This record gives sequence, C-alpha cells and structure tokens, in this order.
Amino acid sequence: MTGAEMIVQILADQGVSVIFGYSGGAILPTYDAVFRYNAENTGTDGDEPMPLIVPANEQGAGFMAAGYARASGDVGVVMVTSGPGATNTVTPVRDCMADSTPIIVICGQVPTAAIGTDAFQEAPVNSCLGPVAKHTFLVTDPEKLESTVRTAFEIARTGRPGPVVIDLPKDVQNWTGTFTGKGLLPVPGYRKRLHAARENHLDDRKCASFFGMLEASSRPLIYAGGGVINGNATEELRQLADHFGIPVTTTLMGIGAVDTTLPLSLHMLGMHGLASANYAVEDCDFLIAVGARFDDRVAGVPEKFAPNARHIAQFDIDPSEIGKVKSVDWSHVGVLKVDLQAIYEYGLRHRVSPSYSDWHDEIRELKKKYALNYDRESELIQPYAVIEAINSITGGDAIISTGVGQHQMWAAQYFDYKHARLWLTSGSMGTMGFGLPAAIGAQFAARDHLVIDVDGDASIRMNLGELETATTYGLPVKVLVLNNYGDGMVRQWQKLFYEGRMAASDKSLRSKDFVKTAEADGFQYAVRLDDRKQLDRTVREWLAFTGPAFLEVVIDPDAGVYPMVGPGLSYDQMITGDHIPSRIKTTEEEIDGSSMF
Amino acid sequence: MRHIISILLQNEAGALGRVAALFSTRGYNIESLNVAATEDSEISRLTLVTKGSDGVIHQISQQLLKLVDVVKIADMTLDDHIEAELLLIKVVVPTNAECNLPELIESAGARVLDDSPETFTLELTASSQELDDFIIAVSDCSEVLSVVRSGAMAIARGHNVLGAGF
Repeated sequence: MTGAEMIVQILADQGVSVIFGYSGGAILPTYDAVFRYNAENTGTDGDEPMPLIVPANEQGAGFMAAGYARASGDVGVVMVTSGPGATNTVTPVRDCMADSTPIIVICGQVPTAAIGTDAFQEAPVNSCLGPVAKHTFLVTDPEKLESTVRTAFEIARTGRPGPVVIDLPKDVQNWTGTFTGKGLLPVPGYRKRLHAARENHLDDRKCASFFGMLEASSRPLIYAGGGVINGNATEELRQLADHFGIPVTTTLMGIGAVDTTLPLSLHMLGMHGLASANYAVEDCDFLIAVGARFDDRVAGVPEKFAPNARHIAQFDIDPSEIGKVKSVDWSHVGVLKVDLQAIYEYGLRHRVSPSYSDWHDEIRELKKKYALNYDRESELIQPYAVIEAINSITGGDAIISTGVGQHQMWAAQYFDYKHARLWLTSGSMGTMGFGLPAAIGAQFAARDHLVIDVDGDASIRMNLGELETATTYGLPVKVLVLNNYGDGMVRQWQKLFYEGRMAASDKSLRSKDFVKTAEADGFQYAVRLDDRKQLDRTVREWLAFTGPAFLEVVIDPDAGVYPMVGPGLSYDQMITGDHIPSRIKTTEEEIDGSSMF
Repeated sequence: MRHIISILLQNEAGALGRVAALFSTRGYNIESLNVAATEDSEISRLTLVTKGSDGVIHQISQQLLKLVDVVKIADMTLDDHIEAELLLIKVVVPTNAECNLPELIESAGARVLDDSPETFTLELTASSQELDDFIIAVSDCSEVLSVVRSGAMAIARGHNVLGAGF
C-alpha cells in the first residue's frame, strides 16, 4: 500500500465523509488515491463515500471544513498542496484554533530531500502554521505515517478541540509499505494531561461548596460559552439551569447552548449583547462561567465585570483559562458534560431547591423593558426587520453562518436559536469571509437542513469565489447579503471614535453588481430587494426556492449595532441607541475608544 | 521575579520552535534558553529563564502544558535546586599594571582554556549572578572581546528528578 492509500484508508476509518481541498503538485499522489478510493467504493445510488469538494481558494476549503465541524461536531478535513496551498490555510487554521474547532489540514510538501532548498511551491509549514495550530506534524519517517494521521485526529477532537496540520512530503505519499491499521504516536505529556482532566471528577466536597454559594445567592446567573457547544454539554447545561431555575446568558460562541426563546434565557451578553443580558450580569450575585473565557468582548474591564457577584465559579476543560482574565472563587477543570451532570445529580440527591422567584421576575422585567428594538417606521429597509422576517419563517431551527461585522451582530441578536450547532460564526478571530464557505461546509454536514449565510457586502467579497462552489455542488444554501455599501462596523466606530472620518470604509462608489455576480456563478435565484413593502414576500420566495438562492437587500446604511458597550468600558456605561431604553445615560462624547480595539 | 523553568520536550520536528513561538506570541520574555538531549534520546530538556509576576509565570506554565510535545515542566525556582551556567570569555592581555588577572581567575574559580600573546580565553561555571559579577570584574581590568554564555541550567537537589516516566 502506498503512503497516499494509507492516508485515505485512515480517513475512511475515522469516518470522514467529505474532503474540502484544492489539488497541486505535492499532494497529487493522495488526490489520486482519493479518486481511486471513491471509484472503487461508489454506492449503488452513485454517491461517492468521500467526495472532494473543490473551493475557489484554499482559505475557502478551510472554512468549509470549519463549517462542517461546527455544524456536525465531527472533525472537518482539508487537503491542500504545498507552498501557497498550505499558506492559504493559515487564516482558517488560526480561526479554528481561536474558536476551538476541530479540523485536520493535510498539506503536501516538497519531497524530503528538497525541504529547505527553496524548492518550487515550498513553504515552511511548521513555522507558518505551528504557532496558530493546536499541533503540526511533519512526516519524514514514512513508517510513522499511519500513527501520525490517527494521532492527528485524536489531538484535533480531544480536550479543547482544535486544528491539527499534517505536513506530508511527496516521497512519503509515494512510499510503499505494509498497512497495519492500528497504532498511535506516543504523545505521553498530552495524553497524561488529557487523562487527568477526564478523571478529575467533582467530589462531594466540591459540589457542596458550589451549592453553598448557589444557596447563599439570590440572583445566580450562568454565563455559558462555546465550550458548552464544543463539549456537547448542551443537554446537561439545560437540565441544570432548568432544575434549579438559574437564568442563562451566553457568549457569541455559546449561542444555542440554551434555547434562546425560553423565559430564563437571556441570549447574548457582551459588547453587543442584549441590554437585558448585560444588566443581568451587572445585577447577579453569583456568576457561573461554563466553558467561557471572559474575553475582551465580554469582560472589557475585568474588574468591573459582574461587579455585584459575591462569588464566581468557573468550569472549563482548559486549565489555562481558569483565572486567566478574572480570578474566581471556585473552579473545576474537567469534562463539562460529565461535570454538569455531576453537579445536577448532587443537587438532586441533596434536595437542593432554591427559590429565585424574585430574580425570575426581575429577569422577566429586564427582558421586557430592555428588549431589542429599532426604527420600525423608517422608509429604508432596516437590517433587523430582514432578520425578523426570516426568523418568522425559520423559527429558530435554521443553521445560520455569518461574516464579520454589523450583520454578524444583528444575526446573533435577532435570530432565535433553539439548538446548539445552528450558529456558525467567527467569534475570536473575527474573520470576514467566513460565512459563505462555512455555510457550504455546514450543508455537507446537514444535507437536508436549511442553511443560511447571513453576510455583509464587504465580508462576502472576501470569499466571493465560493458562490460558484455552492452551485457547482448543487447545495441549496441560501445566501443573504445585507448591503450597506461598506464596512458598517468600521463606520460605526469611525462615527463614535474618529469624528466621522470614514477612512477606507465606504464602498458606495464601487461598481459591484451582486445579483449579476450570483447569476454569473450559476444561481438560478438571484434577487435584489430595495423596497421594504416587498420584504416579507421576497424573503418567503427566496427561502422557498429549491436549490442555491441569493438575496441582496439594500439596507439603511446608517443602521447601527445596539446595544454597545464601548471598548474599555463597563456594562453600566452601555449605549443602547435611540430605540432601546437605558438605565444610565452615557453620552457618546465621553468615550475615547481610539486606542482601543 | 526571576524563574528557571525546566521543560521536558519530545524530540519532534518544530518542537523547540513551538516553545519559542509561544513566548513571542504571548509576549513573554525569555532571558535565556538552553536545550540539549537527556538520558532518554527521545526527550530534550529545555531550561528557560524568564521574569514575571506569579500570575504571568502561572500562565506561562499553563500555556506550555498545552503544547502537545511538552512532556513535563517544573518551575525549578520553587524548590531547592542547583543552578549553573557556563561562561566562555575572551579578554585582551592586560596592559594595566594594577590589574591582576591571574588572581581574578583564581578567586572566581575560572580556568584558562587558551592563551595567546594578545588574549586569554577563560571558562567559568557558576550561577548566572556570579558570571555577571565576574564579567564586570574582568571588564574593569581589561578589554573583553567576546562573551559566550550557555544560559542557566538547573537541577533539583537531593533525590528528586524531573523524569519523563509515568
């Protein structure tokens, strides 16, 4: 068996059902092996077991794999060639690292003997991708190929998940040896630490001290992050919150950890969190962080975050996150799914039944009084209205991917999310161009699910080439471009912090015709909407279209994202805009965010 | 505070680069870094000297433990340990009559590895602080042409070892 054939066999053994990637000289042997594998194993229905999905650019492949991984919870696989193929994956690999998404990038490399000679299409993959990946392997000993590929999957999916890169010289792919079908590399330190976290069960003493804090509190709040989604701990979190009546707010990455439509669900907190969620954080006296890392978009001023919390508890799989930003009174490093179940069972066993009815009333009041709102009378189409129109049809069950910027925040705020893995967004890295390829990847993970890319006119330009990928593979993704002719979020900051000087953020003089673009890439449905009276009808028609469908909506270019906690400010200084009430009036002039990020 | 952190690392492609990159990407400072094989040919030992508050050192340790190749780490400064660093130094033969280089060498416990009509090449193994002091004393006495240091190394006192075994 050749090295290339071994790789394909291991991918099959790992349950890989789709590969996203772009071919080229140094990866040709493995592409050929995939082709032969598919030809030999095509089902009676004509479906290939491991189709190769070819993007316009390798960055697209990376985000397709990320979208696949986020929507399915399985490892996404990228296969690219050496040099530019590999370096084009740097952004998605860093994005996956920052949002803890498990993907494997297999990249061809020049033959072992040519490494370091500035050979054609050679790039130092370890040096480029090493600092941004969870791990990188360079396979120089073909005898270790099998164990390396299997270990890469193990590392990607275990502990805090992340991207793993396998740099694969061409001669290793062409090498012939005996396939054993088993074996892993010794990674003793990693496995020992993983084992320690898995075996670190909550004992009764620790549970008792947790419930001591819970029972002493009258306004407890769960602050759930992406770790709940990545750790598949949604059911356990919901069970705990429901049973003890603890309201839940989630981070951007944690959206879907609880059903956002429920009375005790506060939806998103943070810089653009809902005012009700942020005020609940201000008011809570016991904050329970679950798989959340107090990042700067949530806790811009750590010492002023949850200022009335007498206790803070933190659950995480990653010991480095405990107390990294804000010190906590109680912490536990372990597997969320197991630990949340253990806490719940302890409380059940000890008949803990706190009553938080006053707090629940307060939450209800906060949600009512500080609900999201906007100018509903405007003649211009409001982006929020577009999302509400879509949401009234999808009802919190569609998979939503986004680019980065205002549209991303509107999609986070105004859609309902009933389940985990419906919300795919580049949270930590904030990569514009994520939305379209992520939607394509997600559609492969959930073939019959409605997948919508909610994008901005600037974000979608970043990976616009992938429009053609959607039609090439006949994917019924629905693409929405909220066109405000520029970088809306940048403009919002320029208005607030740079006296309205719109440096390089205006695209109103550009000649792009999005509908023609979509049509040229094979979209049978491509419509531009600029009449608000046609909104509901057009959205219905667009979503009902069988196959890929593209909708551009020209929105109010001055629509802003509110609420907003300015950079470096605390939640009590939150701006809520003209349509959402605020507890305290802070004038925008008081903020100098020019040094903030 | 100054900390000496010892790291047992699997001998894999890019492993050393990952440790170094971690320090640069997270903005931690490295005063010195020493790396060589251990009794186990699969494992290298890095000794890294860094400065930082307890919180920073804790984060450094936690972040190092996230690197797949890292087998074990220890903050040597937390326990009783022996520190040593190797210095090679080349100095011009003193012309100043007040300078008694042989006495300096002897009192510090240094050795002359090479002497030529114009220069002495000396070796001294001691703590990093003692090396600093010796370099100052020598440069007060004569012109220093070159300083080569290994970076500090540390080993626990007594029977304790930082072993890769489990």
